[in-house]
Amino acid sequence: MLETPRYNLKGREEVYEPSEDTFLFLDALEKEMPFLKNLGVEFAVEIGSGSGVVITALASFLACACFATDINPEACQATAETAVLNGRKVDCVNMDLLGAFRNRLFDVLLFNPPYVVTDPCEVVGNGLNRAWAGGFHGRQVTDKVLSTLDLLLSEKGVCYMVLLKENNIQEIQRFMNENNFKSDVILERKLRGEHLYVVKFSRIL
Amino acid sequence: MKLLTHNMLTSKCMKAVTVGYPLAINASDVRVSEVDFNPDFIAKIIPKVDWAVLWNAAESIGQLEGLPKEIVENYENDQDFLKKAHHVLLEVDVINGELICPETGRKFPINNGIPNLLLNEDEV
Repeated sequence: MLETPRYNLKGREEVYEPSEDTFLFLDALEKEMPFLKNLGVEFAVEIGSGSGVVITALASFLACACFATDINPEACQATAETAVLNGRKVDCVNMDLLGAFRNRLFDVLLFNPPYVVTDPCEVVGNGLNRAWAGGFHGRQVTDKVLSTLDLLLSEKGVCYMVLLKENNIQEIQRFMNENNFKSDVILERKLRGEHLYVVKFSRIL
Repeated sequence: MKLLTHNMLTSKCMKAVTVGYPLAINASDVRVSEVDFNPDFIAKIIPKVDWAVLWNAAESIGQLEGLPKEIVENYENDQDFLKKAHHVLLEVDVINGELICPETGRKFPINNGIPNLLLNEDEV
């Protein structure tokens, strides 16, 4: 059983409050616990950790070094606080995606991206809007990570991503396949107006 | 910011930068705390760490605590070595200070344990 980490976002209005997409992601991780424990994870990272509940949950069952990045400095603080609140250690860095990390470090990459279809002009700044504004097809930010996944993951590395039906899952799977990554839908759920998927990408060896 | 994290950070995403590694550290506040020692885990991550960068980083902030300059032979079974590596990698936390790009001199602040590596529009 994976317990939902405790969190306190009082005074942190610019940080995305855990919602149904967050809980879907946690449920998917719970399902993947046996796989992940078996993988032999040394380094795990969550991009856009927000409140920090997801990476903190991962830290609760994997004895690995956990990292988190977020474009929003408040979210970095919140993540660090959430980890401490749950007796875990997560080192957070304020950065855009994984831009300031060396290549091919991570065995596990978690990303609940800004997947909402919006006008590209909404994808600006580093406030709360960056938690959901996904621009054209809701893919603007997602694609930056997907297209460079080979450089982000270690040889055995896997990536879990939350995607929206409107993001065109099949097209993503096709694109990733062409780039030598297989994809598995771990969990799928219809929420209020959103049909969400948690997809796992891993190298075709 | 742990020294393990520092070992992984680079300024290569800046357009003017070729390698951007390692970043120099200027630390004004460093906190040392006790972290559970897991020798197997430390043995596994040593090959993934740039040892020279780790050693220099620890030395630059006065936190070497006898860390050997080279990785010792048969380190997987050397508890003393693993403990020293564990200390430097996971028990030293730079709380306030800055990271400096080796090629441009650009400073990235560290506040409350969190480095800010966000770039301005003209730097990307």
